[in-house]
Amino acid sequence: MAKQLPVKPEDVRSASWIEFEKIPVNQYQKKPSEETKKFSKDDMLRIYRDMRMIREFENMLYSIKTTNSYNGLEYNNPGPAHLSIGQEAAAVGQAYNLDKNDFIFGSHRSHGEIIAKSLSAIQKLSDQELLDIMEGFLDGVIWKIVEKNNAGKDRSVKEMAIDFLIYGTLAEVFAKNTGFHKGLGGSMHAFFLPFGVYPNNAIVGGSADISVGAALYKKINSKPGIVVCNIGDGSMGCGPVWEGFMMAAMDQFNTLWEGDMKGGLPLVFNIMNNQYAMGGQTRGETMGYEYVARIGAGVNPDQMHAERVDGYNPMAVIDAMDRKMNILREKRGPVLLDTVTYRYAGHSPSDADSYRTTEEKEMWERQDSIQAYRSDLVMAGVASESDFEAIDEFVVNTVTAAVGLAINPEISPRMDLNAAPDAIEKIMFSNQKVAKMEDRPADMLQSKEDNFRVQQIARKTRFAFDEKGKPVSKNKVYQLRDGLFEAIIDKFYEDPTLVAYGEENRDWGGAFAVYRGLTEAVPYHRLFNSPISEGAIVGSAVGYAMSGGRALVELMYCDFLGRAGDEVFNQLPKWQAMSAGILKMPVVVRVSVGSKYGAQHSQDWTSLCAQIPGLKVVFPVTPYDAKGLMTSALNGTDPVLFFESQRIYDIGEQFHEGGVPAESYEVEIGEPDVKRAGSDLTILTIGATLYRALDAAKIFQEQYGISAEVIDARTMVPFNYEKVVESVKKTGKIIVAGDACDRGSYLSDLARNINDLCFDDLDAPAVVLGSRNWITPAFELEDHFFPQADWFVDVYHEKIQPIDGYVAKRSFNDVEIMRRNRLGV
Amino acid sequence: MANAVIMPRQGQSVESCIIGKWHKQEGDAVKEGDILFTYETDKATFDETAKQDGTLIAVFFEEGDDVPCLMNVCVIGEPGEDVSEFDPRDAQETEEETAVDSPASAAAVTETATAPSQTEAAAVAGAMPDAISPRARNLAEKAGADLRFAQPTGPKGRVIERDVQKLIDEGKLVTQAAGFAHDAAVAGTGIGGRVSVADISGAVAVGADAPAAAIPAAAVTAGPESYVEKHTNIRKVIAKSMHASLSQMAQLTLNSSFDATDIMALRKRLKAAGEKGLTADMGFALAEKVPTLNDIILYAASRVLPKHPGCNAHYDDEKMTIYNRVHMGVAVDTPRGLMVPTVFNSDLMSLSQLSTSVKEVVAGCQQGTISPDLLRGATFTVTNLGTLGIESFTPVINPPQTCILGVCGITTKAREVNGEIKTYPSMGLSLTFDHRAIDGAPAARFLKDLTTVLENFSLLLMQ
Repeated sequence: MAKQLPVKPEDVRSASWIEFEKIPVNQYQKKPSEETKKFSKDDMLRIYRDMRMIREFENMLYSIKTTNSYNGLEYNNPGPAHLSIGQEAAAVGQAYNLDKNDFIFGSHRSHGEIIAKSLSAIQKLSDQELLDIMEGFLDGVIWKIVEKNNAGKDRSVKEMAIDFLIYGTLAEVFAKNTGFHKGLGGSMHAFFLPFGVYPNNAIVGGSADISVGAALYKKINSKPGIVVCNIGDGSMGCGPVWEGFMMAAMDQFNTLWEGDMKGGLPLVFNIMNNQYAMGGQTRGETMGYEYVARIGAGVNPDQMHAERVDGYNPMAVIDAMDRKMNILREKRGPVLLDTVTYRYAGHSPSDADSYRTTEEKEMWERQDSIQAYRSDLVMAGVASESDFEAIDEFVVNTVTAAVGLAINPEISPRMDLNAAPDAIEKIMFSNQKVAKMEDRPADMLQSKEDNFRVQQIARKTRFAFDEKGKPVSKNKVYQLRDGLFEAIIDKFYEDPTLVAYGEENRDWGGAFAVYRGLTEAVPYHRLFNSPISEGAIVGSAVGYAMSGGRALVELMYCDFLGRAGDEVFNQLPKWQAMSAGILKMPVVVRVSVGSKYGAQHSQDWTSLCAQIPGLKVVFPVTPYDAKGLMTSALNGTDPVLFFESQRIYDIGEQFHEGGVPAESYEVEIGEPDVKRAGSDLTILTIGATLYRALDAAKIFQEQYGISAEVIDARTMVPFNYEKVVESVKKTGKIIVAGDACDRGSYLSDLARNINDLCFDDLDAPAVVLGSRNWITPAFELEDHFFPQADWFVDVYHEKIQPIDGYVAKRSFNDVEIMRRNRLGV
Repeated sequence: MANAVIMPRQGQSVESCIIGKWHKQEGDAVKEGDILFTYETDKATFDETAKQDGTLIAVFFEEGDDVPCLMNVCVIGEPGEDVSEFDPRDAQETEEETAVDSPASAAAVTETATAPSQTEAAAVAGAMPDAISPRARNLAEKAGADLRFAQPTGPKGRVIERDVQKLIDEGKLVTQAAGFAHDAAVAGTGIGGRVSVADISGAVAVGADAPAAAIPAAAVTAGPESYVEKHTNIRKVIAKSMHASLSQMAQLTLNSSFDATDIMALRKRLKAAGEKGLTADMGFALAEKVPTLNDIILYAASRVLPKHPGCNAHYDDEKMTIYNRVHMGVAVDTPRGLMVPTVFNSDLMSLSQLSTSVKEVVAGCQQGTISPDLLRGATFTVTNLGTLGIESFTPVINPPQTCILGVCGITTKAREVNGEIKTYPSMGLSLTFDHRAIDGAPAARFLKDLTTVLENFSLLLMQ
């Protein structure tokens, strides 16, 4: 939706042909020895050294995995090892011109890329810069080990930086506390930010949309460097990868983003095309593209500048990266590279290679990139065998020394969870308050006072009732959506890195009018419509935050959460802890829980999110709480799943005395709130069920003389039980209610903990009142599905304390519980 | 018509009781109100009386047997009536390999027999309910409500809070149930602290092994050089409480003494007044019943304590509970062991009222008729070894209290007055306090205030 871009029928309906450019396939065919003008002998030897280092590292791991020994050193490594033996030239060629400002992201098979990119960064950094990095990283723990081991040896800073790299990576692979991330990432998630090596990802294609976010960060915040996303040919069948392509190639970068921001993303999707997706053969069996490079032609008119590159010749890859980096500097990205290569080892050491022949492997080994490179340079007289032998010796010694250190339990212990049982607990959340991720003026289109929505809200009544206690009309009352808007626009003016995007976020003002007015205030590059790509919406936010920015993204309907499953469950919650607390994840994901719209638009999936460690989950249902919790979420550094209810975007503030403050304030995440005081029964609610619970409280009071205390959970994770326990001690009776289907819900979790915490005070077990385990039926039938006010009385009568003469309309007795569960409904 | 008499449950934590003495034998005629037998918990002894006239036609357990609560103990009816339906051994026989010969030998109560008590008892009117909510159970325990009278109105026949509240409102309390023993003989209890399930199962085991051991006097197996006396339940509770007290608290004792001239003179005058015929009717209650030295110290302490809140308090790991009233624990030596009845609100009592109350509770302990309600809730305790000539000692605190005051004997001390050596009667006081709760100086200040008050006691009485 962009009014600037009319959709004209004469354009859309006119006849023409779509033309494609030719897609280059392995057009670079020079031997290394033909490039002596471009590369000095030292450069050439260093390329060899880097390839050899990767080969040795991977061979060492293969040897340890399969024989428990390497070079006379014994070790058992039960962890994963997805090796890239055979793919070295592709990694080294790619990294050759990249420096620390360029970010690479990887896959489960990225040891080679980590080593290549880091060796390239080490080469380009000064000794002082290297020392600063090594001494500063994790309090210098790794550096001290390397320094001590090299004491008295004649080793340069650069050489020690290589020791640092190989040891830190290996200790990480071996899950040692002295690894780059204390062993919490491990082989498939190793990385090292100071060299521009960003997380590798154990989910196939997982880095694709994350990389888009990193590229957005570089572009939107005018940061130097490019982003390279290394994923395999196997990921070409993954939806989120395509979502990443679509989002990276959005027309709006050129048609709607303005000034400096105009132009494409600085992003290379590099497909490490090793021909196999685990065991599936991508070309000829599981895919139909024939060439990965062909895909670019389907994405945008630039065909993503796609080409196939010979990943067995490092010079071909260097040449391709050179040309592609120029394209990115001209803001014509993104780029797709189809880098062909081949892995000799199996998918993992347990792979029996039953899907390929020995002859096939031997054909590739005969053309081995490292051997071929060396032979060519020796035959051409560029370097001598002894030059290479010296490098071989350096490499073997370096890897052997690192293994010796990494397997030594005294030098390289594991994280001691006996001595420090909270070591992992402490890094699940960063729990920081950072008002702005960067200190510079925020790019905005107008002053806040000039914004029409701000002016409109200023005329509203900030409490739901007037002085006489009469309800203020919907048009005049400050609504829940206004609370969200105020918190968000304030943050836009405060934090220059804040971006917000999702579906219909601009112009439309968000599907539920929360963002009305933002379009006028916020420039395109900070507030934009994304494709309907929930995976990429959340995944890119992860990459944006990982790179140093703050993102607020929206999934519109809670029901669409499944579309972002990997991003919400595997990426967003994990990286803070997997980085040992080095990465921060200031991402707020707005999720709106629907109603009236049937089975696929009316589900409360808060419980799914609360189940995943590493996410904060909030669900405010009053304007005061919505504004305060949004402010807290946006000030924080942790990922927050921010649930909203479509039932009540227009509701006014009925609880907070004095109404919703105009100034900024925080409601602490994790604190429930007593919305109605009472003495006989506690009702704890999640989400908009609060209002039905309040109706129930009225029935209890007026018809049965039972005084109900109603507590709004507000937050699910974290959750402070103090107020609930205090209330239950008083009442001895509790109903926990929400709109989630009750089976396996967070309601049950609350009830279980209340039973534990308050057992001696309870007059009946905590009762759970959730929705039925059905599809959500049509609006007209919803009263049979979502808990209603009279359900509270029924369940109280049947499970807590029978009311004289009362006849329950619904049954909650044991027979009914057994029956429903037996049928699975 | 034949009706069974069950072993009553005295409190929620009690799972079985030991039969102390049979007052009626099988075949005896009984009248409503006659004592049938006495039974002992780990805390007290109760009498069970007949609820109907008739003949004691069956006795299932003998003295010393440990009987699960709510199990049938005997049957009252007309001679010749069939009692087999009441015989608890029927249930036991299916579980036990040991054959039971006669009702009298049903002594072999094992732990397995304790389990089915509730279901069996359900057939008996006034049995314990099957299901009780934790909240209701706690409320009943706290208020002393007798759950046997509870009418369950909760879901699935569960006794819930409101049912217990009803009992309390109607005054159906455990102490009243115990009051069936209007001419009760003995009762007893251990010092403070809750009795855990472990205590009870221990009691069961002891009862099964050596039933006679339940009554100390009868428990002695004499030997030429030594004899073994198994612990009574009370001894075990005392042992456990004392050990817990010493191992879990930071106790230390301050010793002090005061010039007892004033209080001794006061007692002398009161005695003389009594002998002269001054009586309570005439307004001389103290003359008619002269308070003991211990009463005087209790009185002085209950006046001084409110000014030293830390000493009149309960301590746990989370908090201090400071009491506005003084509930005075009075340690009493009884044949069954140490007991500590409580004189509630002693700070509001006159010396005469206090003296009377103390006499009552001490007598209750000595006779074993003390209500269990009076064996808890003290905020401060006084223990007196002075009559035994002790000059100083280390009393052991009764948790969760923070202090205990030991009263020692009177010794003659000398001091210089105007260059002359004069003697005076000196009475020792030993204050043990919990250093977790209060520091040394505040404890010492309490003791100082107390001695000052005692040295000027007659002035205090004039206030």
